[in-house]
Amino acid sequence: MTLEPLVVFLPLFGAILAMPLGRAAGPKAAEIASTVLVGLAAVYAWVLFFDVALGEPNPRTIRLATWFSSGDFQADWALRLDTLSAVMLVVVNSVSFLVHWYSMGYMKEYGETPRFFAYLSLFTFAMLTLVTADNFMQLFFGWEGVGLASYLLIGFWFKKKSANDAAIKAFVVNRVGDFGFALGILGVYYVFGSVEFDTVFSVIAADGVAIPYGMDTGAPVRELTVSFLGHDWHALTVIGVLLFIGAMGKSAQLLLHTWLPDAMEGPTPVSALIHAATMVTAGVFLVCRCSAIYENAPDAAALVTIVGALTAFFAASVGLLQDDIKKVVAYSTCSQLGYMFFAAGAGAYGAAMFHLFTHAFFKALLFLGSGAVIIAMHHEQDIKKMGGVKDLLPFTHILMLIGTISITGLGIPGLYLFGAPFGTAGFVSKDVILESAFAAGETGRAFAGAAFTLGLMAAVMTAFYSWRLIFLTFWGRSRAPEHVRKHPHHVPDSMMIPLVPLAVGALVAGMAFYGHFVDPAKSEKFWNGAFYSAEAHAPADDEAHAGESHAPADVHAAPAESHDGDAGAHHEESHHHVPGWVLWAPFLAMLAGALPAAFHYLRGDPLRPGLLRPGGLVHDFLKNKWYFDEIYDFLLVRPALAIGRFLWKEGDGRTIDGVGPDGLAATVAAGARRIVRMQTGYMYHYAFVMLVGIALFVTYVLLRLAGGGQ
Amino acid sequence: MATPDFLLDYLPILVFLGLALALGIGFLAVPALIAPSEPDPEKLSTYECGFNAFDDARMKFDVQFYIVAILFIIVDLDVAFLFPWAVALFNPELGTDRDFQLFAFWSMFVFLAVFAIGFLYEWKKGALEWR
Amino acid sequence: MGVFETLSFFVPELLLAVGAMALLIAGVYMGERSARPIALASAALLLAACVIVLLTPVGGGQTLFAGAFRIDAFSSFAKAIVFAAAAVAILMSDRYLAGEQLGRFEYPVLIVLAAFGMGLMVSATDLIALYMAVETQSLALYILAAFNRDSRRSTEAGLKYFVLGALSSGLLLYGASLIYGFAGSTRFDEIARVAAMGGDNLGLAVGLVFLIAGLAFKVSAAPFHMWTPDVYEGAPTPVTAFFAAAPKFAAMALFARAMSAPFLELIDDWRPIIAIIAVASMAVGAFSAIVQTNIKRLMAYSSIGHMGYALIGLAAGTAEGVSSVLIYMAIYVVMTVGTFACILMMRRRGGMTEAIADLSGLSQTNAPFALILTVLLFSLAGVPPLAGFFGKWFVFFAAVNADLVWLAAIGAVMSVISAYYYLRVVWIMWFDEPAPAFERESGPVLGAASSISALLMFPGLVVFIGALVAAAEKAAASLF
Repeated sequence: MTLEPLVVFLPLFGAILAMPLGRAAGPKAAEIASTVLVGLAAVYAWVLFFDVALGEPNPRTIRLATWFSSGDFQADWALRLDTLSAVMLVVVNSVSFLVHWYSMGYMKEYGETPRFFAYLSLFTFAMLTLVTADNFMQLFFGWEGVGLASYLLIGFWFKKKSANDAAIKAFVVNRVGDFGFALGILGVYYVFGSVEFDTVFSVIAADGVAIPYGMDTGAPVRELTVSFLGHDWHALTVIGVLLFIGAMGKSAQLLLHTWLPDAMEGPTPVSALIHAATMVTAGVFLVCRCSAIYENAPDAAALVTIVGALTAFFAASVGLLQDDIKKVVAYSTCSQLGYMFFAAGAGAYGAAMFHLFTHAFFKALLFLGSGAVIIAMHHEQDIKKMGGVKDLLPFTHILMLIGTISITGLGIPGLYLFGAPFGTAGFVSKDVILESAFAAGETGRAFAGAAFTLGLMAAVMTAFYSWRLIFLTFWGRSRAPEHVRKHPHHVPDSMMIPLVPLAVGALVAGMAFYGHFVDPAKSEKFWNGAFYSAEAHAPADDEAHAGESHAPADVHAAPAESHDGDAGAHHEESHHHVPGWVLWAPFLAMLAGALPAAFHYLRGDPLRPGLLRPGGLVHDFLKNKWYFDEIYDFLLVRPALAIGRFLWKEGDGRTIDGVGPDGLAATVAAGARRIVRMQTGYMYHYAFVMLVGIALFVTYVLLRLAGGGQ
Repeated sequence: MATPDFLLDYLPILVFLGLALALGIGFLAVPALIAPSEPDPEKLSTYECGFNAFDDARMKFDVQFYIVAILFIIVDLDVAFLFPWAVALFNPELGTDRDFQLFAFWSMFVFLAVFAIGFLYEWKKGALEWR
Repeated sequence: MGVFETLSFFVPELLLAVGAMALLIAGVYMGERSARPIALASAALLLAACVIVLLTPVGGGQTLFAGAFRIDAFSSFAKAIVFAAAAVAILMSDRYLAGEQLGRFEYPVLIVLAAFGMGLMVSATDLIALYMAVETQSLALYILAAFNRDSRRSTEAGLKYFVLGALSSGLLLYGASLIYGFAGSTRFDEIARVAAMGGDNLGLAVGLVFLIAGLAFKVSAAPFHMWTPDVYEGAPTPVTAFFAAAPKFAAMALFARAMSAPFLELIDDWRPIIAIIAVASMAVGAFSAIVQTNIKRLMAYSSIGHMGYALIGLAAGTAEGVSSVLIYMAIYVVMTVGTFACILMMRRRGGMTEAIADLSGLSQTNAPFALILTVLLFSLAGVPPLAGFFGKWFVFFAAVNADLVWLAAIGAVMSVISAYYYLRVVWIMWFDEPAPAFERESGPVLGAASSISALLMFPGLVVFIGALVAAAEKAAASLF
């Protein structure tokens, strides 16, 4: 019996135990039990991380049980432990543990903590099954599980209408994505006859012949076309796009992003755990996991790139004018997810995962720090009503500063210490992304160049809104009401201590793990074939596996020389070969954002109108989040409601119920009354009915025999 | 045209018919001619069966009448059953087998035994006593 | 065959007939206090007859009394169930009759006599024997219906039953005489021979229609069902319990034999009629019961509906169909006895209650009672895995195998509709505000009868279904 399942199932035990324990031994016991269980899982996750990824590569898959076995279709419950899932295990379990810990302080005055901790642990479990899946079905299970937990936690304060609405919105918007995801899984099964990652990816790697379900003939999978919506499409592109639609929903990418800011109705620890550090990155994880598909479906990869880049830009622009402290961070999350996507779309899967990893630290830090501010300010979330909080919460102030320099990317470009760039975690990972995108653009990868540009612009805005948050919240004169200023709410230690490891991570995680995640010299061994690479899987070289060592020279071959841009390929190492200005560009962008923020918010009245005056076109456009909600409301929600109302009143009520159950019931009741009315109680009526009956039967027989006899 | 012989078999019926007609008319005619007529409402009133002869049929009357009537009918039918049985089985002209006659005799005995049980029951129940 | 050899095959019937007469005399000499001992003796008599039937080997069947009766696996199967059901009915009546001041020794004797008639019915193979048997049974039933002669409803029930029964007997006799006229014999085998000759058998067919009408009256199938609700409601409850079980089974068995043995060749004539009667019965049962408020009346419509389902099996006109009818009826008898045992337990301090509303909230006042009745009602509704479902399954299956898919489909729809009113009672028992509790003390017989039949509906079914099906198949095979 191996211990590996514990890393996934300990949080489940916590989830199951929390409620009964809370009832039996008080909420405190439930809190501690679930926190400790997740903590143990976190420790174990780190152990596994060292075992699987950091030392000698030791990927393995542990099959727990068969889930489905129906004809050709088989799906298992399994733990796929490779570098990719190990990274995710570490991120999920660590952040989850810290958030559990933090929640013991944060949720104290809200009550109902056993339920809250049960949900948190349930979420953790679902997220872990997602990342350890070895097939699309289990992935989907975890996917829906985290969606459920997210729904429950956003609507945790279910007596609040806005929380309920936000929960429903999150769920419904995710349904759109999940529909695409489910279709994508069906597509995978249709083309490959399996949903196992190993099977699917090895077929793609070998360019094996795939025979779509129910077809007589197949084709090499990379050339295979499928008929969909009356048109023949490139099979992998269709699958890639469909899967990405799922990722868009879960990771709040442009068009399906609207639920994420509303999700801030949930308790702040939830925002930190689910809507910043873990669940929303599931889409990035999915794209990385399916790198084999995207590398062979350039159009799908291009879509990932451009959607990611646009999201990064869009969300950052909206973040500029948000006043709710949590919404600022939420849009920032949305924007950072965009970075990850366009990195993945540009083929820099290592960079995407790297940013995912570092982002978990600084974003969780920012959210949890904001939570402390909110608590201290008596549940005030509007930064315009804050100011000067650094005197009230000096420690939180420092932690938030660390988060901010991390997200905005403070570092010294070009300086390498121990083979890693010198700077905060966000600095390192964002630079890698932007450089990778640039390099990919150079090799002709679709939209990678545009993504680089948009990413830079987003970086400017990121710096602006992040510093704006700091300046408005912590610095300057306090704009809070008197009693708040005099008597800030006590912030317990349990809300401070968990932030420390996050702060440390936000500072040094980039430098510490740069080598493994993205340094061309080491990353190949680190990722150990978790990502698809074109050389390793050249169609002619069926036997090759990524894990088998390749000469560094091969790996370092200049992208432009070794690949044609069309086939797509592996660009992770390419960020070293970019012009110098590209290295400096993100840093300059950061300054370009931070300085105007300082200029505006540190002098004079910070609330005075700036460049964008209220009422102005651009201001209103940004303030209203590009009018996405309004457009959706007009285009989708209202028509849907109207159709729904029509179908409800006319379709269901009048037609289906009217003709169906109600009508049937009415008919039955009417029939019953009619038959019962015949039951008069008079004997001669009864006799009459009998005689009528016999007369009819005799008539029938006479007619039948008379007719048949002729 | 000669009268077919078989019609002669029906001659007694004709005789009986004539007799019945003559008697019926005679009994109506003779009193009308010779009887003294002293009309009295009491003479038209109910007698013996206890209820008005000319009245609504839906009225209460003693169930005893029915019991007596029903018991009478049962015995009546029984006798009506015994006659053809006796005539058919024991008519020497028909020459029925002796064993069969014995079997039939005992069968009727069983029937009469069952009948007797019914009679015992009604007797013990007091159905034959007018209360 | 000598007299005594013939009679040796007739021991159960002789036992009942002689026993009934002996008990009658004993009762009338002992007076009113004899009610209980006579009842127990009657039940013992019936059970003894049942045991004798079960123990008597019938082999390939035995024709008695010059073709008037036939003792075969079919008649034995039917007799065993009828006698047992009659015995249980007597035992279940005890408390009710005592409570309602109806304890008279004639009651069990009449049931024994009726059972005697039923024994003759299920073995009759001659139209005259058939008529005689039916009348023997019916006359006893007429009296039983009016047994509470101080009650308007009971006497009304008896009178209605008698007059309409006389009408149906007239129809039956008319049909029998037409058949005799056109077939030249009253014996089933002779009629079958004539029917097999083919040719113009219009007279036979019309006679058959009248015969069917008479028999349909006895099984209370629509449109000859009209007496049923009034009689069920009016008659004393234990009498209704008896009516719903044994006579139904006997009449249905007679129906099956009368259709299969002499008239199998005319199946094209009678099958549509039986099918229409089946559909009409199911519809009446399903629809009318919905608006009932009296549980006995509800059960009346329920039994009409159940006869419709059983007739589906008969309409198949195959050995499989007849065996499905026997299975269905056997299960039906058990369910009905159990349900009526429950109804007989609906006693409050003020006396018996019959309204469905009196059951409301029963689960809170008497959970075991509610549970038992729920199981029985689910079974009556035909909810799997209870026995009632399998009964329906067998008849539908037989109909489908006889290419009567439409009939089975209608049956399925009707059983869905009829599920409504059974479930409504269940709903009332479990989810409505509790009505005053029933008296706990209801005696061992009712509790045992209801719980045993409930147990037979599910776990018991698993044990006995094999034997039941085997016996029913053997019985049905003896008709073909």
